[in-house]
Amino acid sequence: MNIVKKFVILITFLFSSQLVLANSDVLVDTNWLEKNINNPKVSIIEVSVVPGVYEKGHIEGAVNFKWHTDLVDTVSRDIISKDRLQDLLQKSGVNQGNTIVLYGDKNNWFAAWAAWVFDIYGIENVKLLDGGRKKWEADKKPLTPIATSVKSGNIKLTKTNNKLRARLKDVVAVANKKSDVALVDIRSADEYNGKIFAPAGVPELAVRAGHIPGAVNVSWGKAVNEDGTIKSVDELKKIYAAAGIDGSKPIITYCRIGERSSHTWFVLNKVLGYDTRNYDGSWTEYGNSVGNPIQNNTGTVWGKI
Amino acid sequence: MKLTSNIPSFKNYYGAAFAVLVAILVSAKVQKLDNVSYLSYWLGISFGIVLQRSRFCFYCISRDFIEKKNSIGLLGIITALAVGTLGYHIIFGAFLIEPLFPQLPPNAHISPVSIILILGSLSFGFGMALAGSCISAQLYRLGEGLISSIFAFIGIIFGFILAFKLWNYFYLKIIIDAPVIWFPHYFGYTGSVIFQLFILLCLALIFLKFHKKQKREAVKSWWKVKWPTYVGGILIGLIGMIAFLRITPLGVTAELGNLSRNLGDYLNVTPIRLEGFDTLRGCLGLVKNIFWTNNGLFILGLVLGSLASAIFSEDFKVQIPKVNEVRNSFVGGLFMGFGSMIALGCTVGSLLSGIMAASLSGWVFFVFCGGGLYLGWLIRNKYNF
Repeated sequence: MNIVKKFVILITFLFSSQLVLANSDVLVDTNWLEKNINNPKVSIIEVSVVPGVYEKGHIEGAVNFKWHTDLVDTVSRDIISKDRLQDLLQKSGVNQGNTIVLYGDKNNWFAAWAAWVFDIYGIENVKLLDGGRKKWEADKKPLTPIATSVKSGNIKLTKTNNKLRARLKDVVAVANKKSDVALVDIRSADEYNGKIFAPAGVPELAVRAGHIPGAVNVSWGKAVNEDGTIKSVDELKKIYAAAGIDGSKPIITYCRIGERSSHTWFVLNKVLGYDTRNYDGSWTEYGNSVGNPIQNNTGTVWGKI
Repeated sequence: MKLTSNIPSFKNYYGAAFAVLVAILVSAKVQKLDNVSYLSYWLGISFGIVLQRSRFCFYCISRDFIEKKNSIGLLGIITALAVGTLGYHIIFGAFLIEPLFPQLPPNAHISPVSIILILGSLSFGFGMALAGSCISAQLYRLGEGLISSIFAFIGIIFGFILAFKLWNYFYLKIIIDAPVIWFPHYFGYTGSVIFQLFILLCLALIFLKFHKKQKREAVKSWWKVKWPTYVGGILIGLIGMIAFLRITPLGVTAELGNLSRNLGDYLNVTPIRLEGFDTLRGCLGLVKNIFWTNNGLFILGLVLGSLASAIFSEDFKVQIPKVNEVRNSFVGGLFMGFGSMIALGCTVGSLLSGIMAASLSGWVFFVFCGGGLYLGWLIRNKYNF
């Protein structure tokens, strides 16, 4: 009896965890997406960091959003306006009630960022392809260079929820211990400790190095497996709990320009269900702001020869 | 006994064996690189073989026309452009369903048209006349054993560094406001194909009008016979199309520019930042690692392909240059390096890949490079330079 019971539990566990991983509320796997390529209720959008990746080969039926121009205000530093996003989504054939699957290169960095932007405008049923392009290619799934032509969709954006967006004043309040929010700096340890001002090969856009006082350092990459897929809920809980992030209080994530932190935002907010905001001003805003406290463990001085 | 005369002897294959050996070494290295790096190498090999066999040297072809009224070579270039135009437009239609302004197909060499492009094209044409061949031909002729090429490359690298020093001034004064003109924006894809083929047809008729019948060459063993330039043209059009679809448009200056930039940085003579440079579409761009790039492997393949082909066809001969040849190669190289940097590409990157992409910049390069070449030819002959 005991053995049978154990076996049943094991099977149930395997089956349920498989189900969660395969097609959760927020993640879809490559097999699911492959089966749903022609599903009219599914819209696929690629948001890649590197320009030209989409054109050489993308998932059939996917449209291309360019993060440099499509999802931002190109003049002032801000995300795309509601009207422009609605226009873009309609032109891309997205209908009201469709499931939107986002994916991209570099572990879905900008796909997650797009998911965050979509969340602010109250778009529902937004999911990430778990593992992004990397996993799709590793699974030897087909790509096509043929551009997708679509009929206009009818999606309407009605809400704007700026509460999902952390602003400079919110993080300054945390730095000055006037607000009980957990800050997660998802950059590399070298950036966090102030050893470097920006990752290798990336322009130094902040004139100070270090991190916001009180922030803990959990690099975004800790949340993913070798193949780029997001780790299991149990593993994730353990990783963040080790840094004191357990969802008991609100969380703000940040990085350099707010894109890698969207990945962690997605993990904390969507996968774990913690109350999390993304600070898109990130270090390029905070590290340049005047008069705010900074923790620099290394003591590097900008411009010093 | 008669049979052996139809088959090239064992030593004719040495070059090919060497190229394959390098391919094996490269394959060990490219495991860690981009998955198209290996393809780059083999495409470079093919390009080198085609250039060498069909003598696809822009200067030699033009000189044949000017001196011997032989248009066959120029018609080969027209063939390459016609085949490439068709191939590129087929790919354009896949990448961008409709050519709506301001969208451009990714990576295609569609660059701004300005007085700087004209200056660069003139300088390039002038330089190739002095040095005796353009950059791609210097590469394939290096494979044939032309030692003076090395001096041309030294000149090219210094020409690049000189252009880097002036770049920010040129860019901020002129290039930033220069129009980027892509024919499909104005005529649609069909219109653009018709327009380009019409111009190419007119050019072909003009070249044919001037053409005089040439003496026939003596019959040689089949492996020594040069391929007609139009055969080279068809193959180059196809290689151009494959390169655009799978890697980046054909070009031979990206890696040279990269090398020069690193050397300039090392010597502390080039600006740290080249304004707007990495946002423009041309042959050159920011690359971080040296040599083990797609373009580096393409060039390596080109030289080895030509070497293999030259040895096979018994064209290989180490040619030790005279002093004036060293000087001409170096000075010509300076002009070519300077010209191709500010024009964002050479006869391959700007002319071939630009015109195939239906960019006005390609045609401007074609015209003014031709002008510069004629000027260089005149000076070279008049002053016996």
